[in-house]
Amino acid sequence: MTTEDGATEAAETAAPDTFADTIWPDVNRTLTAVDVQPERGVLDLIVHIPPADIIRGLNMLKHDEALQFNYLRSLTAVDNEADGVDVVYHLYSVPKNLNLTVKTTLPNDQKVLDTATTVWRAADWLERETAEMFGVTFTNHPDPRPLLMPEDVDMSDTHPLLKSHPFAEIELLQGELLGHNRDAEVED
Amino acid sequence: MAISSDLETSTATTETAAPAVAPATPEAPPAMPTPPGEHPNEAPVLAPIVPQPGKALYRQALPGVMQVPLDLVLAASRKSSLWPMTFGLACCAIEMIGTYMSHYDLDRFGIVPWPSPRQSDVMIVAGTVTKKMAPAVKLLYEQMPNPKWVISMGACATNGGPYTRYDRVLQGVDKIIPVDVYVPGCPPRPEALIDSFLALQDMIMEERSSLGRGA
Amino acid sequence: MVVEPAVEFETQDLLINVGPQHPSTHGVFRMVLEIDGEVVRDLVPYIGYLHRGAEKLCENNDFRQGIGYMDRTEYLAAHNAELSYVMAVEKLADIEVPERAQWIRMILCELNRISSHFMFLGAFGVDVGVFGTPFIYAWRERETIIDLFEEISGDRMMYAYFRAGGLAWEVPANFRERVGEVLKSARQGVKDFDGLLTENEIFLARTKNVGIISAEDAIEIGMSGPSLRASGVPLDLRKTEPYLYYDQIDFEVITAEGGDVFDRYWVRMQEILQSISIVEQCLERLEDGPIMPEKMPRMLRLPEGEVYIRTEAPRGEYGIYMVSKGGNKPYRLKVRSACLSNLQALKQMSVGQYVADAIIILGSIDIVLSEVDR
Repeated sequence: MTTEDGATEAAETAAPDTFADTIWPDVNRTLTAVDVQPERGVLDLIVHIPPADIIRGLNMLKHDEALQFNYLRSLTAVDNEADGVDVVYHLYSVPKNLNLTVKTTLPNDQKVLDTATTVWRAADWLERETAEMFGVTFTNHPDPRPLLMPEDVDMSDTHPLLKSHPFAEIELLQGELLGHNRDAEVED
Repeated sequence: MAISSDLETSTATTETAAPAVAPATPEAPPAMPTPPGEHPNEAPVLAPIVPQPGKALYRQALPGVMQVPLDLVLAASRKSSLWPMTFGLACCAIEMIGTYMSHYDLDRFGIVPWPSPRQSDVMIVAGTVTKKMAPAVKLLYEQMPNPKWVISMGACATNGGPYTRYDRVLQGVDKIIPVDVYVPGCPPRPEALIDSFLALQDMIMEERSSLGRGA
Repeated sequence: MVVEPAVEFETQDLLINVGPQHPSTHGVFRMVLEIDGEVVRDLVPYIGYLHRGAEKLCENNDFRQGIGYMDRTEYLAAHNAELSYVMAVEKLADIEVPERAQWIRMILCELNRISSHFMFLGAFGVDVGVFGTPFIYAWRERETIIDLFEEISGDRMMYAYFRAGGLAWEVPANFRERVGEVLKSARQGVKDFDGLLTENEIFLARTKNVGIISAEDAIEIGMSGPSLRASGVPLDLRKTEPYLYYDQIDFEVITAEGGDVFDRYWVRMQEILQSISIVEQCLERLEDGPIMPEKMPRMLRLPEGEVYIRTEAPRGEYGIYMVSKGGNKPYRLKVRSACLSNLQALKQMSVGQYVADAIIILGSIDIVLSEVDR
């Protein structure tokens, strides 16, 4: 038996309507007046929602009786270089045991999105992290300080997880910052 | 002697409380010994020392006393009571704590973890030093009194280790503070950390003439 | 329990900085407490002192090298962290894992949960003020498990033993006996802790009704693992979305009602017993067989796709979001850290409590800072 079989079987035994074919009608019914595109993921259903509608759509998904996505597993972004930045929400419904991935694509020249902290408080730190790592601005965020980056140094233009962010050069010489002059030592 | 007499008196009292069951034991506690100073035969005798040629005076006055340089005494006492600051940064901290615990037991070398930098001799930099953490590490080092030593534990503290290509990571703690012993490994085994302490102790003995390093 | 002073005084709030180097913050965690007398009025956590770019580096290393970084993100439960990662690769590459490898993975993950929970019990004892004894007991138990892991994988902490497709090599011949010994010792260890702490009056006075968080708030904040289950939410990924062979194993999801510090301690202690039972059942089912699929390419190249794998690590949901765009490296790798989400609840738990309780509330969440910062 493989992992995939195990997971598929598990999904079927735990709740027979968790998989893409069965959850999509519910999602589609819930997201009225939202331009939503489904995509079949490896495990979960993926839905694409345009940035303008994202918070409205997430609120609908959370408060719908049949879905109740009240748990935000993860919030992150993917830098697709020329194709912009995808912001990805992994939702889970504790009462219904359902999973859903919501994606929205931001163009590179306008990486601005409404905050999801109004939907789940869990989004607070996750959005702060995404903001500093990918340069996405979350408007109306209650606490827009950097999370992992230092606060005393202004690093608002450094976004390490963007593909354009370079890796550090490996410095072979060590000890210069101590005032140790290697050249002088050789001359002696 | 005092302890044993206490014990015997206590057993005697318990027996008087329940004498019916217990068999008889010696009841009287042993006589207290005479205090040494009050013994009639131990009156202090101070005889004048007649110096003999060919032998140092202090050896004649205080037989059995060794003469050693002060720096040796200082170095030996320093190396025998190295107090490292409990200071964990990342994964290596777990192995560091494991070394303090009873399985490896650093205490038997006189190495006792101490939570304050003000009373510590050794700083074990156990883990990745990021650029965000570096000012705090430097401050802690500066708060330690001289003489002080630094052990860089693990690959990350030595040169950034597996994280060296990420630019928020400091490529070795020796960029900000001087390091005396580098311990390889990711994370180093407890034996390696013990070995680093032994190496540090040797180093302290070798460097003893300097009587500690300037800050 | 909100503590209000009996008489109103003209007081001034005091700011206390704790960390980033502090013996009881479990690593490089910093929090600024605003206290009024003994009562915490506000708490601002600061993290990121161990942010060392594991995700970025994984995106620059191939799928096999990434396993090593996963170990180092969750160094107290490295097997569980590796499991999420290799499962993500297997899912994307559609690799069939042999049965024996899956059972051994389950055994090792549960043993790692035991060792991690023992670490929690020991460190939590120190936080509460039982300086020494529980910590030394905890390390005794941990060392027995670590010795077994070392015999299997060759390293004490960073095992890198799981591979996409199975295991790196076969376990030693005396694996069953050794696991049996470890379980026996762990069971005795739980008894020791139970006798030492659970009914200790001072311990109860320190932990009962301290740092309460309700089930609704815990879900809203995104907590997971034992910290969530202590609030009464029976959310355990081993039951709700079984992976490996957890659906063939009989075990209970431990929950508590109160959501206070004591419940978080109690849930973890009971989970050790459940893990022992799981390992025993796995040992019965373990049979000889291959540990890697017949045909495994030496260099993995994954098709395009994305997957979010979540497993139940000792601290909660350890998720791996992996995006592949072809090639031998993940295009994007996100580690969903249970500790990061759990830590968000710290402020709500601590405000209104005594300042001394802020430390044990932090300890009860059981954070690993390198998983928080990654």
